[in-house]
Amino acid sequence: MSASATRARPPDLAAGGEPFLFGLGGALLAGLFMILGVLALILWNGAATFWPRPIERVELRSGHTLAGEPIRSERFRPAGSAAESRRTLYRVGNYDLYGDEFRWVDEAEIGRRDRPGDLVLIERLEWGVFIGRLVGAETAGRALDPADAEAFAAVHAEARRRWRGMRALERDAIAEVNRRIERERLDLRRLELRHGAGSAIVRAAADAAESRLVHWRAEHGRLSERLERLRSEDARDTARVVESGGREVALKLSAIVRFYPANALGPLGAIRVYLSRWAEFLSEEPREANTEGGVWPAIFGTLAMTVLLSLLVAPLGVMTALYLREYARQGRAVAAVRIAVNNLAGVPSIVYGVFGLGFFAYLAGGTIDALGFAESLPNPTFGTGGLLWASLTLAMLTVPVVIVATEEALASVPRSMREGSLACGASQWQTIRRIVLPRAMPGILTGLILAMARGAGEVAPLMLTGVVKLAPELPIDASFPYLHLERSFMHLGFHIFDVGFQSRNSEAAKPMVFVAALVLILLVAALNALAILIRARLAARFRGGQF
Amino acid sequence: MAFEKTAAVLAAGAILATAGARAEALDPALAIYRPEPGIAGTVKSIGSDSLNNLMALWAEGFGRLHPGLRVEIEGKGSSTAPPALIAGTAHFGPMSRPMKGAELDLFEKRYGYRPATMRVAVDALALFVHKDNPLACLTLGQVDALFSKTRRGGAARAIARWSDLGLGGDFAAKPVSLYGRNSASGTYGYFKETALAGGDFKDSVKEQPGSSTVVQAVASDRYAIGYSGVGYRTADVRIVPLAARAGEPCFEPTPQTAYEGDYPLARLLYVYFNLVPNRPLDPARAAFVAYVYSRQGQEAVLKDGYYPITAEVAAEDLAAFGIRREP
Repeated sequence: MSASATRARPPDLAAGGEPFLFGLGGALLAGLFMILGVLALILWNGAATFWPRPIERVELRSGHTLAGEPIRSERFRPAGSAAESRRTLYRVGNYDLYGDEFRWVDEAEIGRRDRPGDLVLIERLEWGVFIGRLVGAETAGRALDPADAEAFAAVHAEARRRWRGMRALERDAIAEVNRRIERERLDLRRLELRHGAGSAIVRAAADAAESRLVHWRAEHGRLSERLERLRSEDARDTARVVESGGREVALKLSAIVRFYPANALGPLGAIRVYLSRWAEFLSEEPREANTEGGVWPAIFGTLAMTVLLSLLVAPLGVMTALYLREYARQGRAVAAVRIAVNNLAGVPSIVYGVFGLGFFAYLAGGTIDALGFAESLPNPTFGTGGLLWASLTLAMLTVPVVIVATEEALASVPRSMREGSLACGASQWQTIRRIVLPRAMPGILTGLILAMARGAGEVAPLMLTGVVKLAPELPIDASFPYLHLERSFMHLGFHIFDVGFQSRNSEAAKPMVFVAALVLILLVAALNALAILIRARLAARFRGGQF
Repeated sequence: MAFEKTAAVLAAGAILATAGARAEALDPALAIYRPEPGIAGTVKSIGSDSLNNLMALWAEGFGRLHPGLRVEIEGKGSSTAPPALIAGTAHFGPMSRPMKGAELDLFEKRYGYRPATMRVAVDALALFVHKDNPLACLTLGQVDALFSKTRRGGAARAIARWSDLGLGGDFAAKPVSLYGRNSASGTYGYFKETALAGGDFKDSVKEQPGSSTVVQAVASDRYAIGYSGVGYRTADVRIVPLAARAGEPCFEPTPQTAYEGDYPLARLLYVYFNLVPNRPLDPARAAFVAYVYSRQGQEAVLKDGYYPITAEVAAEDLAAFGIRREP
């Protein structure tokens, strides 16, 4: 038995010379508690949102029947009564029929309630969910028995496949033709601006453009006809559904995103619904003013902006720090610059946003538009918020972090190593390149990681410089010139704000806020993990190559 | 042209598929939108937060009919629309109140003409209370006495407690908790002009950043009252019927009471844009304008909880912009 194990810690910490141990440990505990609490709240609410709930059918004493997912219940005191009662909030869906998506039901009014197995929840492309019973279906003119679940699911899958084909046709082929026609118009307008309307050059160009336009219009007509054929096929696949009040509605099968018999769903079926909802959320475009569908454009926008920001901030910050630490004569001027840089890190981010809007978007962007994109004026191209301006603004916001971290890293390289290198005849740059930078690299990368994390979580300046509520087209796509720096984009942080505080139906939007927050946290964590991985690799490589 | 026919069929099919019970409120004379080929580019809108979701719904529907066209929506308040239009950073400026004289003047100083005004939807500003609040009716004078410290509506004294409005039970002893919008919002401006007769808000009104936030705040505060667009109603709040003057009947906000002016806080929602006189609009913007006034566009208005405009208003506005449309 060792001596340290036998010696008991004195009960009085002050007597042991550690009077603050509990205070220090307590501070850590409080911090951990808060962080874990937030994470647990988001994780719990975010992860549970997509789990399918059962549907209750409720018969009221008034004879009215409703069906919906019970969301939550609470105690309350009905008007004019002394006794407390309970009430439950049901998500009844069918917004197009009821004008309401949620309804409170007083327990005292309920006559009977059950969970019939034939109630289905149908997620639609428009108007939200439908809750009711499937009573019939039709495909290509022949009736289909909806009780035959397998056949019905197959027809539905086929309709969805056709729908996706139509979307692809629209988004790729027809969109490209439309863009060509628009480009012809803009090219002509540019010539008009340069040579004057009605000049010989413009007339010749107009004739040439007309012959091309005939081709594109014919192409458009051909594609439209193909689309029309698909649409008429599509219109023949329908399902008839009845809501709990007895009204019957016909739905196009292709407009049904997903359907499931909520009360007859085994655990396996529930998992399948859960996963398919996550897949939709992560990979699809938002629908219905961002309250449904997915957040893929927002995820992509956040990623693209963060990567672009890192590419911009890394060389700028590192080079500034190199000059300040290695070349500049240390004196009052440099000290003043250093203080300014440190202060820059404390400027509120919205100030950067205002600067970005005024300087980048209005001034720089406006000038670029006047010089290079005059044909689309008064429609701005660069003269409004966009990916480039947002990334530049955030690069400015985060550059102090990189400068400070890089300076610290450079300062930690021992003087003797520099002197050794210089004594061997290496120039200052060769010393920095071969000796100083490799040793400082982990510290520099740490600064970059901090900058990235700050940039990815920042929303306020982005709202002014290019993030919008809805911009379904990604800033990188297959259409020339592939990277569209002028486009506005969506951002997860702003998406959370928008869905949480601006959607029409805040009750339905609340769970989506948690899901989006969960995705944002995971995304930032993944980016950081990636950067840490790269740092570890780089550090290992430079360590090996030094001596 | 063969294309036009197919487009017409497409559009008609889309309408039939979505027509639900709510679609009955649509004016049947509203034209069905028929997309033309060759429209691409970007349409950008900056402005009202009340119209944010509606713009997004239009952007979705319009974007689907015109592949290759991007519609970008930004909405932080009606007051952000005029500067964006003047600076040329947006094509459309949705506003939940008409432009003020000063804003029109600034626009005119920059361009030499006034912006074109689209009347796109009808909104009823509703007073929301907690779902358990039994308040049966409010007159505009009472609303003024609740929200205003200057009381231009003529009330003798301010209403501070629920007992002042005749509520009993646990409400009687509680002060009224007030919620409203921030001053960049057109809803704030309209409410100040109409309900407060231009007077000042009480300092105790808690200003919220969004229309939906007002409703959420009222939902979680049992003794609260707040104003916001009728479309933002949830199951946790109740709308109080309003009367223009004491002794007059109270009206719930419905399309009928809003159209006929019975509901005292009904208003038009606007979208402004830069229309150079005697020059045709560029195709993308012209198409978007036509879409907003179409059946599909007005169906989105219903979906967002607002009330659609009539075909008459649509025809008047389109004629004013010089946009031709088949009946």
